[in-house]
Amino acid sequence: MKFTLSWLKEYVDTKDLSPEALADHLTMLGLEVDGVTAIFPELQTLRTAKVLSVEPHPNADKLSLCEVAVGENTYSIVCGAPNVRENLITAIALPGTVMPDGTKIKPSKVRGIKSNGMLCSERELGLSESHTGIMELPDNTDHGQPLLQTLGLDDLLVEVDLTPNRPDCASVIGIAREVAGITQSELKLPVEESSIEHNNAKFSVDVENCEQCPRYAARLIEGVTIGPSPWWLQKRLLSIGMRPINNVVDITNFVMMEYGQPLHAFDFDTLEGRQVIVRNPKNDEKTFTTLDGEERTLEPDMLMICDAVKPVAVAGVMGGLNSEVTDKTTNILLESACFNAISIRRTARRLNLPSEASYRFERGVDPGGCTTVMERAVSLLCEVAGGSVVEGGTDFYGGQRPLNSQTIRISRTASLLGIDLDYDKIADALQSIGMRCKPKNDDTIWVNPPTFRIDIVREADLVEEVARLVGYNNIPTSLPTVSLSYPEQQPQRKIRARTADLLVSTGFFEAINYSFVTDKHLAMMALADDDTLRNQLPLLNPLSEEQSVMRTMLIPSLLENLKRNINFQKNSVKLFEIGKVFTPNGDNEQPIEKERLAGILSGRRYGEASNLHFTEENFDFLDVKGTVEELLQDMRLQNCDKKDKVSFRIPETDDIEPYVDPSQCLLLDSLEGTLGHFGRLQPEIAKCFGIKQDVYFFDIDFEHLCTLQQADKNFSSLPVYPAVKRDIALLIPETVQAGDLLETIRTSKEKFIEHCEIFDVYQGKSLEKGIKSVAISVTYRSPTKTLTEKNVNKSHTKLINTLTSKFNGSLREG
Amino acid sequence: MEQEILTLQSSAKELLASVEDTAQLEEFRIRYLGRKGQFSSLMKGLAKVSKEDKPRLGQMANSAKKEMEALFVVKQQTLAATNNTTASHGTLDLTLPGRRPEKGKLHPVTQIMNEVCSIFESLGFSVAEGPDVEHDHYNFEALNIPAHHPARDMHDTFYISDSILLRTHTSPMQARIMETQQPPLRVIAPGKVYRCDSDITHTPMFHQVEGFLVDRDVSFADLKGVLTVFTQKMFKKDLPLRFRPSFFPFTEPSAEVDIACVICEGKGCRVCKKTGWLEILGAGMIDPEVFKMVGYNPEKYSGFAFGLGIERIAMLKYGIDDIRLYYENDLRFLSQF
Repeated sequence: MKFTLSWLKEYVDTKDLSPEALADHLTMLGLEVDGVTAIFPELQTLRTAKVLSVEPHPNADKLSLCEVAVGENTYSIVCGAPNVRENLITAIALPGTVMPDGTKIKPSKVRGIKSNGMLCSERELGLSESHTGIMELPDNTDHGQPLLQTLGLDDLLVEVDLTPNRPDCASVIGIAREVAGITQSELKLPVEESSIEHNNAKFSVDVENCEQCPRYAARLIEGVTIGPSPWWLQKRLLSIGMRPINNVVDITNFVMMEYGQPLHAFDFDTLEGRQVIVRNPKNDEKTFTTLDGEERTLEPDMLMICDAVKPVAVAGVMGGLNSEVTDKTTNILLESACFNAISIRRTARRLNLPSEASYRFERGVDPGGCTTVMERAVSLLCEVAGGSVVEGGTDFYGGQRPLNSQTIRISRTASLLGIDLDYDKIADALQSIGMRCKPKNDDTIWVNPPTFRIDIVREADLVEEVARLVGYNNIPTSLPTVSLSYPEQQPQRKIRARTADLLVSTGFFEAINYSFVTDKHLAMMALADDDTLRNQLPLLNPLSEEQSVMRTMLIPSLLENLKRNINFQKNSVKLFEIGKVFTPNGDNEQPIEKERLAGILSGRRYGEASNLHFTEENFDFLDVKGTVEELLQDMRLQNCDKKDKVSFRIPETDDIEPYVDPSQCLLLDSLEGTLGHFGRLQPEIAKCFGIKQDVYFFDIDFEHLCTLQQADKNFSSLPVYPAVKRDIALLIPETVQAGDLLETIRTSKEKFIEHCEIFDVYQGKSLEKGIKSVAISVTYRSPTKTLTEKNVNKSHTKLINTLTSKFNGSLREG
Repeated sequence: MEQEILTLQSSAKELLASVEDTAQLEEFRIRYLGRKGQFSSLMKGLAKVSKEDKPRLGQMANSAKKEMEALFVVKQQTLAATNNTTASHGTLDLTLPGRRPEKGKLHPVTQIMNEVCSIFESLGFSVAEGPDVEHDHYNFEALNIPAHHPARDMHDTFYISDSILLRTHTSPMQARIMETQQPPLRVIAPGKVYRCDSDITHTPMFHQVEGFLVDRDVSFADLKGVLTVFTQKMFKKDLPLRFRPSFFPFTEPSAEVDIACVICEGKGCRVCKKTGWLEILGAGMIDPEVFKMVGYNPEKYSGFAFGLGIERIAMLKYGIDDIRLYYENDLRFLSQF
């Protein structure tokens, strides 16, 4: 809602309130002021000028040389306007002025003659469409004055961000009413409350659908002359950014902004049968041309204003081309009606025709105000457009509601707001905004809100009014008294936080990506058309193709993040995300939402760190494996109990996702099934995302992971006796897997083995082809004694024999 | 015997004074203070002296040994200190940058989210999470926003079908929780929300925390109290804040909460649009209609609810000027927080 300060002051005395203070008061009453700004700021440097003399331009027929007085100065100006003449008072843009269209006025030469500025037309100033000549100001205007002041446009525009519950404030008078409450002053209304006497001598009105049209008032004005509006009227519309059109249309717009009641003017002579029928379209009425020339498709439940044979307007939304007021119109049928808010909203949405009128109707207009507003408009039409009103008219009020009467309890209001209240405090507050109050009993007050407060329908609405009028900042603060209870945390939330912390502590940055992605992602990941992940949930109204389906996996967005970082020369990236993926679950059902954990590693192992500190090495498979191992151990799912809750498995060909390098991939298994995988991304897939370096990833069903029972923490006493370490260097066929070696040692029956680990794997020149050397360190310890050479040697020799025979290997010499 | 003690004492002192490095010091220790050293032999010799001389000579020998031990420790420390200085000047450049262990960062949204949640958890609120893809019923109807209510204009909604949508706020959790639990309730619901809007101050996905408290005799003053505690913990103590009337269909009275602009400290700047205030929260007393829809008796219970945007708080706390940066996951951005 926009209005200017001078317009507001026509209805209310703002007393000594500064514009800022006024804005602050309105904001604190729930009418949030978005801004207070000068109107036409671009015209601030324009001045009034008097043409002193006009002579023909020696080198051009249509140009004149003018001497122009601007205050104490005179300027020579070349002007092409046909209406330039001696003694004309007009508007001048002096050198340095930037015009509304952006051009800067400079001293220049026009056909060899100097010109120091420009005399302006109304169109050049953005004030109207008129461009037949330069602006003509009244003869008694002083020259050298600021133009805005002369035109009465030195005004402040106030913009209020209206909440949907206050349609009564979508009008200057509505705002003035609130201001009257602030300054305790009288509201000055342009017309008295008025009604319409029934008279159907010249036209008739029939409302067929009362539910969609609770009230319909119409009057006939004859003999109007269509033309431009007087300046005071144009000024009001211009100042709030509305374009003046002609006197009749301008009056309907002006009164709508003034009272919040939309009006419509029909060219009466286009109405067949001198009849108005408010009804829904007939079966054969499929389309209708609105006054903007667009053909609109009608639906059976839209409300139309019709004459005896055809629709002439879409009720409350837009008039029809066939009944539009034109230059030739002489007789006007003026409508002031109240339409059903939901019906108007649906129609405006379906026709995609939001307008100032539909904005007000769909929030609700005061049905009680229709005839008073009509009176205002009629008197203006007679005054401004020279019409004469036909006695009486029609006022169909089928939807009249009984007097709105509510009750409010003093004790309830006090306890809800947390303040002390009594009858006087509540009644004083409510009466200050025109509500009538009287006591019902000791604790209850009868309240009659005025008809324009259509939002007041319950006690809660009155409680809010009391709070608003008392002032939120006058309500004290307290802390609720509650019984003590321990808030339970969702376990998954706790695990999520811990997982994130662990990954962060190992150098990962957390990413958050949009839940919606492009549907191209999965094809880029080379997933087959029938892959379950390709069953995605599309948005009906996406903002763009890039964000059109709900994601079923996290990796593609992480790859996009990686690409972005590489573009900005951050080539070493460790990112993870814990987020939901969405699987459709049937029409009109919520999808299945599952949380997943995914991460990527790419570039150098020690990131951007300098070579001074770390060697320059790239990530490999063991980095991603180590990350997953660390995670599982931290969650006490691996290496914490006799049996691991999660184990790694080398996948069969069928189990390998198409985007993974089949030679570098492991699956994660729990007793309930596979819960994820990690490995190296196929280089071709990375290339699809514009990435030319190796990418390692992990992707885990986080919800599944959270359901696994974590091993308890159990203390085992610290060893008392020293350990003995022995190394084995085995030569074995290269097909033997390290995991099998370690597993054999761990499960061997040899005594005293506490721990074993591989510390070197070598394949190369000095070795036979197909053979690799694996160096293993084995730790022996007894819980009851210090081991002797003899004890250890016995076990160690047996262990070596087991390994060499099982894996067909030998000890490496030297 | 007495002479013997004095001679040993002076020769030991002499030698200790000439010690220049740790090896010599060790030699000295073995020779005089070790198990088989000269002070030990001296002590053993005490066995042979007469009974009447024993206490005096014993005390004398003992204090001589104690003194030597103390001198030894002093020497040891002096040598150690000298060694360190020589080493640092000789080999290691202390001004070289340190070798830092690698560490990542949580996303700033997560950091702020954790901070917000932990403030409310300290006040005894429990945390509940709900679905991102919601029924129209929970997102709108159950919150007193029927179809064709103009308040739906405040929510630019992404639809999946006629009745399924991406939640436009975390408020649906109010209805979901009240439907299954009885008061007293103190709950916050953090999560992602979605609106079809995209520019420098709006992303189509962002994060909110919804909170509500339902019990007997909960008042608007209580709402003010809880949110005052929150904003002061989140920003700073004594930060001015104001409550002003607003409208949400699921609360009445409704309020918007402004804090004094943290950029200009209330003087007026571009960020606060020259008002000196920044809007950070929406709140209000839960509307009786919402209670009725979940089967609570609004005469018996009252409560308040509030909602806040995490990105906005992060922007204000960290001075981030473009909301789109949040979801590009650029390390140059993520590493700043």
